[in-house]
Amino acid sequence: MVASPPRGCEYVEARWVARTAEQLRVSGGHVEGIDCTSDEGVGIRVSVPGRGFAFAATREVTKAGLELALARAVAFARALPAAPPRAALPSIPPALGHWSSPCEIDPFERSLDERLELLLTAEALLRSDPRIVRGEAESLAQRTIAAFASSDGAAVVQERTECGGAIAAHAAADGELQRRSYPSAHGGSVALAGHEHLLALDLPGHAPRVAEEALALLSAPPCPAGRTTLVLGDEQLALQVHESIGHALELDRILLGEASYAGTSWVSPADIGSLRYGSELLAISADATLPGALGSFGWDDEGVSGRRTMLIADGVLRATLSDRQSAAAIGVPSGGTARADGYARQPIVRMTNVSIEPGDAGTLDDLLADVRDGVYMETNRSWSIDDRRLHFQFGTEIGREIRNGKLGRLLRNPTYAGVTPQFWGSLDAIASPPAWRLWGLLNCGKGEPGQSAHVSHGAAPARFRNVEVGVSA
Amino acid sequence: MTGDGERALAHRALGYLDGDQAQATVTSERSLLSRFARSAATQATAIDDTSVELLCVLDGHTGAASTNQLDDEGLAVAASRARAAAAAAARSGSGPYPGLPGPAETRPHEGFDPATAMLDPAEAGAALNAAFACAGAAGLEAFGIWTAGEVRTAIASSTGVTLADAVTDAHMKVIARDEHGRSGYAATTAVSVGAIDAAALTAAAAAKVSATPPGELPPGEYRVVLDHAAVGTLLEFLGWLAFNGLAHAEQRGALCGRLGERIAAPCVNLADSPRAPGTLPRSFDAEGVPKRPLPLIQDGIAHAVVHDIRSAAQALASSTGHALAPGGAPDGPAPTNLVLAGGGAATLEELCAPIERGLFVTRFWYVNTVEPRHALLTGMTRDGTFLIEDGVITRPLRDVRFTDSALRILAATEELTAGQRLVSDADLYGRRFANGVLCPALRADGFRVSGGSA
Repeated sequence: MVASPPRGCEYVEARWVARTAEQLRVSGGHVEGIDCTSDEGVGIRVSVPGRGFAFAATREVTKAGLELALARAVAFARALPAAPPRAALPSIPPALGHWSSPCEIDPFERSLDERLELLLTAEALLRSDPRIVRGEAESLAQRTIAAFASSDGAAVVQERTECGGAIAAHAAADGELQRRSYPSAHGGSVALAGHEHLLALDLPGHAPRVAEEALALLSAPPCPAGRTTLVLGDEQLALQVHESIGHALELDRILLGEASYAGTSWVSPADIGSLRYGSELLAISADATLPGALGSFGWDDEGVSGRRTMLIADGVLRATLSDRQSAAAIGVPSGGTARADGYARQPIVRMTNVSIEPGDAGTLDDLLADVRDGVYMETNRSWSIDDRRLHFQFGTEIGREIRNGKLGRLLRNPTYAGVTPQFWGSLDAIASPPAWRLWGLLNCGKGEPGQSAHVSHGAAPARFRNVEVGVSA
Repeated sequence: MTGDGERALAHRALGYLDGDQAQATVTSERSLLSRFARSAATQATAIDDTSVELLCVLDGHTGAASTNQLDDEGLAVAASRARAAAAAAARSGSGPYPGLPGPAETRPHEGFDPATAMLDPAEAGAALNAAFACAGAAGLEAFGIWTAGEVRTAIASSTGVTLADAVTDAHMKVIARDEHGRSGYAATTAVSVGAIDAAALTAAAAAKVSATPPGELPPGEYRVVLDHAAVGTLLEFLGWLAFNGLAHAEQRGALCGRLGERIAAPCVNLADSPRAPGTLPRSFDAEGVPKRPLPLIQDGIAHAVVHDIRSAAQALASSTGHALAPGGAPDGPAPTNLVLAGGGAATLEELCAPIERGLFVTRFWYVNTVEPRHALLTGMTRDGTFLIEDGVITRPLRDVRFTDSALRILAATEELTAGQRLVSDADLYGRRFANGVLCPALRADGFRVSGGSA
């Protein structure tokens, strides 16, 4: 079909995707659930002159099934209003080949019993006190094999294995509820890797500390309100990058294509090359070649090769995230960040691995040393940002006073708020490369119908001056 | 709408399962979705898919596997995975899952419209043309989606459950926007695509785009009128935070220790009503338990939380028919047909009338939980925020951030409109499961604005 597009189609692409996943959950000393999912199908996208793109998905991986899906996509495109003229898609080198993510230990080859034993052991260590009302341990293993072909000559196969896990303790007493997670909230640390990643997390080894901190937070003083110096742990900084930089630099949003749902952006195309996004320390990359990162691939879902692009350098906006359509609209080559969630969704502009580059400020302790009064926050709990990615408010699981260069008392319910360019403008130190780590996110939502993307962000602890903290009702 | 094909497939799949108990669930989706931006069609998606979820119960444990490979080999492999998962869980000792339900009578509903199930792409084209024309006439651009879908579900279990259901849904939202980025919003969600009037929706959205530059509102506490969409979002969050029976049983819910107490104003009556006119009805939940109305707040008094089989066992209660997945979803049960009873105000203007200085909110955006136990939320307003002065809307405002408790807002509620609307985001992640909140607009005394967007 893609070798000889049907009459009336100027472009056809087909993606066959087969996905298998196993999610294991343990709570209260019991296996709470084991969910094994698998699906397989083909998504076909066409471009019809004067009408634009349309997409149809089918689980019928047969010649008849594909032809029917193609016909549905073409019919849908033709039923819609005539599209205004758009920039022609620049040609790209045909994507050809095979790409696989690294995987030392195949998680699907390890027995369920072995993986459950790990989770049961970790979860038991969380329930050290009756005030721990819920302990959780979970793991994920997922394998995706995708083949892509297009009328531009692309023919590639990619294989990805994702693996990871998390623990969390919920403590409750006297009307207060606190949660503490490791290594992060929202599904934990998942990487483009095999079972070795789950083992390296050492969930049982961290469980006693996680439980102790959840309990200690119950009686900790609330985070005080005011403006102060804020030091963010690398996991929370990763989400800050995700929400206030990554999404803001998606070119489809910038061009208003996502106004219906995800929103727009405070950035405009004319800002590229000149907009001061933050302090001179701010350097942001989008890198689809990072080993172990969830947003890495050989080619994106339009057949554009994975690459590393500096989005922000010396605090100045240099580039955006883009697919072929959005890039063509502003006359630049695709940034190679079109991604689709399975076979039943079409590719849209997505993050790959959008990371803040490490600085030269040393360790977390070195960052703290230059703070007389401030707050340290770690592990995301709550996130919210406006539809232009400008005004945000975040909450973390845990906070600590910073007094005279040292961490002090625990603080509960810490929050901070800001405005994107002012916040990044207040960045005055980033820890050095040894403190830089990758953090995977599994729940990046965008698109209609909704798509969940798996992305990673590299980050190191960083320090911000004069930030509003302790926002409350 | 017989569902015979799905029912037969469920029974065929069940034949591959063994264990103490087993359940096979078939879900078939056919849908169309068209997105538009700047008064032009941008993306169109047509989905035709069927998946089977197999649940095996062994010694109080569940193992689940799903597949969309519907041949004998695909079903056998999935059944084997479900069995292996349950067996592995059972080797850790007896589990708490009490078992699948037996057969129970379900009631018919009005949630299927044959015309909508036709899924005619020409209807999408006509709706978009109407929206573009209406927006253009107002000097604005239209953004949004049009979507329609048909979902058929069948369940067969070793305990004798044999059920089939078919529902349709249609949704269109329009954001009208001017060259300065000022925007207005309107949406319709219904069982029938015939309920969508694209021109009227676009006119309603355009009416919220003011030519007057927006003012700024400093942080503080304001009287507020929340339009239907804003109320629906608060209630959807409350569904998870307050009425999730698993969180409640584990002392994590916002109503822990408060059932039977006054938690809202006397004018607040909230129920989960799966067959109420204007909702997106369903016959049964993901465990095959029949759907039935359940009062949650009566005259401001907290009445109940919702359960699936797992949370009910933990709370020594019975399932209320709110399972979101076979064997129970990881995060527990939730109401999916919330209905807030209307009040006595005939119009939004009537709600605004008593307010000397306050805020009108069309909808919220990116709401998230700050403190679950207190139902404390934060989020932004979007697509139509206005200042109310001396009882009338006087001028637009820049969007503001709120940080407030959904329960506190219900406690401060003074009046509601008589008219309700079905509010849905229709974000449709994963397998299509259209749902919404049927609610009026309301006026509350005290809404906490924690930041602005100057």
